Amino acid sequence: MLRRVLLPVVVGAVLVAAADPGAGGQQPAQAAAPARRGVQTFDQPPAETPSPRNASYDIAVRLDPARKEIKGRETIRWRNISTATTNELQFHLYWNGWRNDDSTWLREERLRAPEPARPHDAIRRPDETGASDVTSIKVTPAGGVATDVTSAIRYLAPDDGNGADRTVMAVTVPDAVGPGASVLIEIEWTGRIPFAASRTGWIADYFFFGQWFPKIGVLEDTGWNTHQFHFATEFYADFGVYDVQMTAPGGYKVGATGREMRRVDNADGTTTHSYHAEDVVDFAWTTSPSFIEERRAFNHPKLPSVEMRLLLRPEHRGQETRQLAAAAAGLEYYGQWFGSYPYGNITIVDPAYQSGSDGMEYPMLFTGRANWLSPEKVSTTPDSTIIHETGHQWWYAVVASNEFEHGWMDEGINTWATARVMEETRRPNLLAIRTFGTFIPFTPNLPLSREVSGNRMPTYRPDAEADAQTTPTFRYWPRSANAITYDKTALWMHTLERHLGWPTMQKVMAAYFERWKFRHPRPQDFFQVVNDVSGQDLTWFFDQVVRTSNTFDYAVQELKQEPSSQGRTRAVVVAQRLGEATFPVDVVTTFADGQQATEHWDGKDRRVIYTYERPARVTRVEIDPGHVLLLDINRTNNSCTTQPRADAAARKWSLAWMVWLQELMITSGFFG
Amino acid sequence: MTIASWIGGWRRVAQASGMALALHGLTFLLALPPALLVRDQIASQLGSSLAAGAVADGVNYDWWTEFTAQATGLGATFTPSIIGFGATLDAVSRVLDARYPPAALLWLLGAYLTLWTFLSGGILDRYARQRPTRAHGFFSASGRLFFRLARLTLLAGGIYWLLFTYVHPWLFLDLWRDLTRGLGVERTAFVWRLLFYALFGVVLLAINVVFDYARIRLVVEDRRSALGALRASLRFLRHHPLDVTALYALDGAGFVLLLALWSVAAPGVYGTGLAMWTAFVAGQLYLLARLAIKLHFLASQIALFQAHLAHATYTAAPAPVWPESPAAELIAR
Repeated sequence: MLRRVLLPVVVGAVLVAAADPGAGGQQPAQAAAPARRGVQTFDQPPAETPSPRNASYDIAVRLDPARKEIKGRETIRWRNISTATTNELQFHLYWNGWRNDDSTWLREERLRAPEPARPHDAIRRPDETGASDVTSIKVTPAGGVATDVTSAIRYLAPDDGNGADRTVMAVTVPDAVGPGASVLIEIEWTGRIPFAASRTGWIADYFFFGQWFPKIGVLEDTGWNTHQFHFATEFYADFGVYDVQMTAPGGYKVGATGREMRRVDNADGTTTHSYHAEDVVDFAWTTSPSFIEERRAFNHPKLPSVEMRLLLRPEHRGQETRQLAAAAAGLEYYGQWFGSYPYGNITIVDPAYQSGSDGMEYPMLFTGRANWLSPEKVSTTPDSTIIHETGHQWWYAVVASNEFEHGWMDEGINTWATARVMEETRRPNLLAIRTFGTFIPFTPNLPLSREVSGNRMPTYRPDAEADAQTTPTFRYWPRSANAITYDKTALWMHTLERHLGWPTMQKVMAAYFERWKFRHPRPQDFFQVVNDVSGQDLTWFFDQVVRTSNTFDYAVQELKQEPSSQGRTRAVVVAQRLGEATFPVDVVTTFADGQQATEHWDGKDRRVIYTYERPARVTRVEIDPGHVLLLDINRTNNSCTTQPRADAAARKWSLAWMVWLQELMITSGFFG
Repeated sequence: MTIASWIGGWRRVAQASGMALALHGLTFLLALPPALLVRDQIASQLGSSLAAGAVADGVNYDWWTEFTAQATGLGATFTPSIIGFGATLDAVSRVLDARYPPAALLWLLGAYLTLWTFLSGGILDRYARQRPTRAHGFFSASGRLFFRLARLTLLAGGIYWLLFTYVHPWLFLDLWRDLTRGLGVERTAFVWRLLFYALFGVVLLAINVVFDYARIRLVVEDRRSALGALRASLRFLRHHPLDVTALYALDGAGFVLLLALWSVAAPGVYGTGLAMWTAFVAGQLYLLARLAIKLHFLASQIALFQAHLAHATYTAAPAPVWPESPAAELIAR
């Protein structure tokens, strides 16, 4: 049965290549297959397309929900767009990250924390493992004949030499593939779906398929860039066109990258959903019989319309407007600031509880994160997560940097942008303290600022010196990887925004998006855009924030005042640099008569002394009063006043703490 | 009998209202020195900075996270959980989720428990006698009963330790995780969690009741053996399960009502000056009410126990020599 379904697909893939770019974009779901604009053989470069489309896939896959298994067949049309010649092909088999307890992913997960978030993450039961088993692989060079290279399969561990890791597969090909040449690769495989793994897997009646198919690595001028599956990093892939047929039980709702072109009910009770996507770096899909489907159009006078589709879990019914509004906010602000969303439709997946697939981005589809009890005034979930994942359509899906090596280029930049949208939309964002097994949120009236919530200074601070961002992300220490990838970048991007001003920063990011959309930028490419658009050489800044792990900390060391001649006062202000990193800061001294003296300190020396002789005494000194340097890990010591209120503040909060302590004592009396 | 004991309990608490105040004073005095230390830590960290103004006038979470990142010891316990009703939720959630108190406070909580054990002898004695015992009588009863009650407390501590070290992890880590391992619905997981809380809570309360009546028996009948008191308590519970349960539920309802009121009335974030002192006084009144309810648990249970004291009517009564055991006094009347 499977062969009957798959055969036409494979044959069609060989004969017909890319679909009409325009046809897929605006058709309603369940429309007929897109019209083809003539026949294009797989070894020819495509005509004018947004992306190089050098790794395109035709996939047919069948889900067996009872066995937690998929069987698939794919045809990859791959073109070598590098200057290198290769005689081997490398593939990612990500699901092998859960194949055995010694995989690199699970080893790193165990390093992350003594107690894993989900117990099955670190050590898995036999029925919770995942695997990708390639049963057949054939390679056909352009104009050549197919060669079965299944027996040549071997596994590589380029990052850590871990012999137990099978997440990178390689085969030697009979004929070397030179620059511009193409090959057709036919693969058959079986996938054992992992139980509630990171970003993928199954739980209850919910299935999420991320990194689920054998995926070719990226060949660069220096060779293959095919990293193993790591705990702290994500992915890297070339752009392509995807035609995917997913067969799931009838009644299961399916959401996927791209647009649904056709839906066929099969005689065996299953339904085959055909999706088509162009100029994307990946393909993910989800299915569950429980999804509630909501559709809404995103319309904006200056931006192309986008069809939003939400697949909501029943327990979150009532949150649909909130979730869709968050996605719309992302589409609106990212679209206006950086460039319009290019795909025409987007699917928002509300993942199942404990699925592990929450807060994950794929092209044209992402998962949010929601709690059953989600107070309106707490925007961390679902709002912030959904805005963030929407934003990844810009920083990951379109501007497709190498997440294995430069995670900050998508996660960090996107964290900064998310925080900016949150601030711009003025969403109420109170702190939520989750009690009783994290189920019950308590919200003291404690508003979270962009610095704390969006830029995540509290989680950056303790790990500020953990790694420099020039270290490849997959080599970061797993426990602090997020702090360096997400938080530090958000803080320095926000610092850059304040340093340059938003209008310039917006132009920088729009230019970066325009210059690098549908391509793979490197850090230097980003720095170059910043320098070009801002008209400044900001190498010194990137040296500080990217190329070292130094921290920033400026402080008012001393304020001394004494009478001088003619009733004047001599004030000595000592500003100090406590951290190793440097940044130009203003030192502003305010006098009792309202006058101010502003000094522009380059921030390089360990300390600087300013002496003033004025008729009025100094009332306050502030370093960086505009709060430009958001990376300063200790803001409190940045200022000094002659009318301190520390005692009043300390008295107030210590009294509140005392009541808490007394209550703790009385509660402990229960046991006595 | 349940209602009569409940009312009788309040009467006894009211007759000795000074004890609630004294207990409250004890918590106040114990909490004051560490609070002064925390005050000094906050003041020292804020120094002469401008940030202090925002911290004094309201709340500044940016500063708060900076403070906790640097704080050690007691200062590290200064988290947003202390705000308003959050403190109550935090305290109750700590018990049910088996989150041990911060290490920096263990010595203080240990001191409180020791003092409570000492004073509980006098308190139980006073409630049982239903007449003023004066300070001399109170403290002599406290002293006389201390080691007996301490043995019971140690026994209780051991059982609670077993409960939290073995039963709680088994329930909430092993069993709960196994049950919810394949659950894709948070609400269902929460219902399971509630059931587990209820189960664990019932065990916890049952142990608490057993030891409450053991203490009462030990004081009222002037017994020495902790194990004997436990056996007698279990016997008492076996003979009067409905009365005991109904009374405990009634007492518990008072506690829940107080929490409900406090959830509405608890001050959140406020400034300095009058607002600060008003909030502090409100907090102290709430704590006083909690202590009164705690004492009422004991007083009403004593009333119930004494109401069932069958042998009081037939045991040959020696002439009571003050201070004599409450049971002997009761026989003498």
